[in-house]
Amino acid sequence: MPEQLQTGFTAFVAGIAWGKWIGVCFLILLGGVLASFAARGVTGFMQERASRHHTVMMRRLVFYVVLALFLVAALREAGFSLDVVLGAAGILTVAIGFASQTSASNMISGLFLLVEKPFEIGNFIEVEGRIGEVVAIDMLSVKLRTPDNLYVRIPNETLIKTLVINRSRFPIRRLDLTVGIAYAEDVSKVEVILLGLARQNPHSLEEPKAFVLVTGFGPSSVDLQFSFWLPADKVLEGRSRMMVDIKRALDEQGIEIPFPHTSVYAGSHSEPFRVQLLSPETTTKTGEPDAD
Amino acid sequence: MTIKPELQQNMEDGQWASPYALSSGQTHYHELSHTQVWVTLLEQEWQVRYQRMAEDDDQTRWLQTISHEASDGGLSEQRFVRPDSGNQVTYVPVMSRLAMVIRPYQPLTIAANSECTIYVGTLLWMRIQVGDKNTQLLELPLADPMMTWVGRNTMEGELCYSAATFARLMLNSVPKRPWRAITPVRIVNQQDQPLLLERFSLPTPLLSLHRNEQGQLWTPQVTVHCESGMNSARLRVDSGVIAAAGKCALVSAAREQHSRGGLVRAYDRMFG
Repeated sequence: MPEQLQTGFTAFVAGIAWGKWIGVCFLILLGGVLASFAARGVTGFMQERASRHHTVMMRRLVFYVVLALFLVAALREAGFSLDVVLGAAGILTVAIGFASQTSASNMISGLFLLVEKPFEIGNFIEVEGRIGEVVAIDMLSVKLRTPDNLYVRIPNETLIKTLVINRSRFPIRRLDLTVGIAYAEDVSKVEVILLGLARQNPHSLEEPKAFVLVTGFGPSSVDLQFSFWLPADKVLEGRSRMMVDIKRALDEQGIEIPFPHTSVYAGSHSEPFRVQLLSPETTTKTGEPDAD
Repeated sequence: MTIKPELQQNMEDGQWASPYALSSGQTHYHELSHTQVWVTLLEQEWQVRYQRMAEDDDQTRWLQTISHEASDGGLSEQRFVRPDSGNQVTYVPVMSRLAMVIRPYQPLTIAANSECTIYVGTLLWMRIQVGDKNTQLLELPLADPMMTWVGRNTMEGELCYSAATFARLMLNSVPKRPWRAITPVRIVNQQDQPLLLERFSLPTPLLSLHRNEQGQLWTPQVTVHCESGMNSARLRVDSGVIAAAGKCALVSAAREQHSRGGLVRAYDRMFG
């Protein structure tokens, strides 16, 4: 019996066309190596000529196309008919699709993201309250790097469904600052001061022009909206510097920035609150012992 | 930090694009436009410090002196490793990297089917080059430029520097300062209606800088043809400076090169 098995195994091993299979493996390996070389070449070529987003997209495209060509060649070498393989792949896709709906949905969403291009690699986007720089747009997810240097993975499906704010799409942005001034102050004087600050600030743009609006009469202040334009990459420093300048300028001009006040009213028929000032003699000296 | 008036009297006028030799430990001090610059040579490094001064419109000279006095502390310095053993430092004027929007203090109206030439003085950047190979250390603007946006809307357009100008029509009345380059701008209004010149985008990266025998800096003339509407114009940059500038030598080439024999380009938003 073992002899028969051995003879059968030997016949099986001898029956395999080793040369053909080695050729197939070699083709796949060669495909992988050449695809990665081609991808690197494309990256080197495009890095200085195109944006990071386009470079990454092109690198992936070149890699997968070269690899696919070699895989097809390898399959032919192995004796598979391409029609049969594609048919089998179709059935397999349906089966996998049912089995992994989420992944499939993310992949399709990823394709839509690539076509629609709401953001590119390097853009600052805001998704569900999280702000970050897009570092990768992959098959299943988009990766962000937040300003505090966290790595955030967002599934593509979420990005398709939810609201996405791209903060770096346009080169300039408007900043709206709310400034509250006391009711006693002259609004037009404050307006002149604020517009003067916009002219002096090196980050603030001359055009589109800065403006000041009165947005409401708050509980303790007249609320103004001070809007000015900045280059998109100067927003953070521009905001901070302008806030400091506003505080300093209003202080210098003696204009009060009020904090919430509360007036306690005891009613017209009741007695006013009795306030008595204590003379220095009756106050207890702190720091001295109460008893000898 | 301010320099005493008696020291100012001993200072000499600075020259663009001519090398100054420093020995180790010496500082080259400059006072021009709204800027004070200190360039110091040490055994192994170059140091550059600069700060803005209060505006003094009467100042027309570029004062410079070489001494062993370093600047006061408190200014942040930029340090550069010496690229070679050369001890020369050269200051080259360059035009701005972004286009400059010129805004006359009072808008100027150009009648229908007529033309005029205005003379515009633009802010320069100082490029500091050192050593035998003239290695560039840095470029610094000689005043803080304002920025503005030029475009059809807030989505399409470009960021530019902005400068107010008197839009002088007489060359004699243009102040000649070493830190300003004079650009003659010829505006040809070919429309049947007057052209109100409120803002004008000057393509400074396309302009080269030339120096005449008096040390004044000039750029080639820019000609703008306004044919249809306020928002489109054709622009041409001459290859040489105008005759009124006198005999000139090229000091620095344009940052961006244009086609031979001048440039013709259509602009969407050149005016207004």
